[in-house]
Amino acid sequence: MAETILFVLMAIGALVGAVAIVAARNPVYSAMGLLGTLFSVAVLYVLQLAHLVAAVQVIVYAGAVLTLFLFVIMLIGVDKSEDWDEKLPYQRAFVGGLGGVIVLFAGALTVFGNFDWVPAATNTIPEATNGTIQAIAELLFTDWVLAFEATALLLTIAAAGAIGLAHHRREQA
Amino acid sequence: MIEITTPEVSWIAILPELVLALGAVGVLLVEVQWKPATRVLGAISAITLVIAIFFTFLQWAQAGDALEVGGLDELVAFSGMIVMDGFAVFGRFVLLVMAGLGLLAGWRLVERLNRRGAEAIALVLLATTGFSIMVASNNLVMMFLGLEIGSISLYILAGLTEEKTKADEAAMKYFLLGSFASAIFIYGVALLYAGTGQLEILAIRQFFTEFIVTRPAVILIGLALIIVGLGFKVSAAPFHSWAPDVYQGAPSGVVGYMAAMAKIAGFLAMARILLTAVPQLDDSWLPVIAGISALSMLVGSTIALVQSDVRRLLAYSGVAHAGFILTGIVGGATTGMLFYVTVYAIQLIGAFAVVAVVSGPSSSGSSIDEYRGLARRSPALGAAFAVLLLGMAGLPLTSGFVAKFGVFSEAWANGYGWLVIVALLASVISFAFYLRVIVAMYMDETEEEGIVVSLAARWVLTIAVAGTVLAGILPAPLIDLAADAFSL
Repeated sequence: MAETILFVLMAIGALVGAVAIVAARNPVYSAMGLLGTLFSVAVLYVLQLAHLVAAVQVIVYAGAVLTLFLFVIMLIGVDKSEDWDEKLPYQRAFVGGLGGVIVLFAGALTVFGNFDWVPAATNTIPEATNGTIQAIAELLFTDWVLAFEATALLLTIAAAGAIGLAHHRREQA
Repeated sequence: MIEITTPEVSWIAILPELVLALGAVGVLLVEVQWKPATRVLGAISAITLVIAIFFTFLQWAQAGDALEVGGLDELVAFSGMIVMDGFAVFGRFVLLVMAGLGLLAGWRLVERLNRRGAEAIALVLLATTGFSIMVASNNLVMMFLGLEIGSISLYILAGLTEEKTKADEAAMKYFLLGSFASAIFIYGVALLYAGTGQLEILAIRQFFTEFIVTRPAVILIGLALIIVGLGFKVSAAPFHSWAPDVYQGAPSGVVGYMAAMAKIAGFLAMARILLTAVPQLDDSWLPVIAGISALSMLVGSTIALVQSDVRRLLAYSGVAHAGFILTGIVGGATTGMLFYVTVYAIQLIGAFAVVAVVSGPSSSGSSIDEYRGLARRSPALGAAFAVLLLGMAGLPLTSGFVAKFGVFSEAWANGYGWLVIVALLASVISFAFYLRVIVAMYMDETEEEGIVVSLAARWVLTIAVAGTVLAGILPAPLIDLAADAFSL
């Protein structure tokens, strides 16, 4: 029962945050909305017994990524007015309608308990060891070691690219 | 404490990528420590590529042995992340050769970038690593990582110029739209995982042979998103709108490499997912791919007719070629597609090498006026460009004709006669715009002086023209190789 209440609260929190991101006119409020969503989702991860993922979510997303967002917002200037013209007609109605359909679809799935749509999904509770650091480390350094190492290349690219694009650039002749 | 059993590591399966990554890091470190002449860095990258190509020969031999005497399981390495089947090795080999040609074609740009040339070389090697991982991956997450490593390197290469020019705009556009496409691809992967519970391509195929999915909606949506994501990377219509702007804006020294690599890796990945992972669902995806193919051919070849910029023309012709190559996937076989991708990549790099010579290696935009009377300014350059364009158009006795014949006959045999008719129509239209450039080169007068072709560009053009003509007259060896490139 407590789990259900917590789930409902956090789900509402995540949704309110998500709406705030797109609805807020001030980018700082948008960032705060994102923060709320990220925290709520982190709690949802805890409910799924994925403790490490929850911790990573808070540290990496709420900590590092969001700080970066705020930095950029502050650097550009909070008080700058933005161009709010929407080039595509009916884009809000379209996205709203699509979102509504998805929500109805997901709701119907849950209500009718029909998981044939996603054959791989189970509604059993995962084992408590699945989300632990050890379990993830074991996977990361055995089966997924190549993927883990390949992400290192991305960091090399980021460094080389930043230098290549930013360093020693002459202004337009 | 938990016991971790270390997995078995089969180094041979990733040796080419390992060498490439080490070469890229090596170039960066040597640059920092000794600041050598650009030539030294070029030598390092050349050695890297040669060693990597040598390892693909070893892999090819091992894959062939496994096919003959059994032991196909051994070709799957790193807990199912990477496969070393003929398809992957062929793809790697082609990518590595194109990387070498691309570096040669862009060499003047690298020299102009001075101290930042090292970054350009390293990024070319890293992009090659990424796409190489992509064509060899047996796991969708691994494939996504390869795609991102390759694509992000290309986004940066698109903006590497010595001055702030239109290249910045091209790089930004490519980055934003490319990131969207990548996100769509990974969303598709997630849905495919939700539907099948598998990330490994071979395991997904196994899933479909064991189960009959009564409600495949989630799987099909996932597949559709994957097709959209990869369709963007290979610039198939209607996901092509970025290509003309990026081809036009990016420094001409790298455009050929960029376009060739993205096309090779994108098509190979698409073929692996569609033909290896979900062949059972072909009732659903065959009509979609056929539709995208027909649309690409028609849109590409008709819009190319009215272009006044050679690069935009080549971009739209690239859209048409994406359609032609997709007919190979519609045909359900990979031989024709592998042949087509290989010869088209060579032509593309050759053609953009000409653009780099005519408009300068870091220029943005090349109006067709710059090409008027080119054959008088430099007969060899004009002739090379003419051969490459006719090869793209598919004139008999060039590789383009053999390639088109191959994919069209596969599609015909698979019952897609209407697609072949559309393709033939598009091929005829495409002759018109290729000939327009050739006519401008040969028929028009010009006041311009002669043009100097650098040694590197001469090499690229010699190889590209020789490849186009040879594969047109004697296509059998390459076709045999492509036919031997089996997929697990």
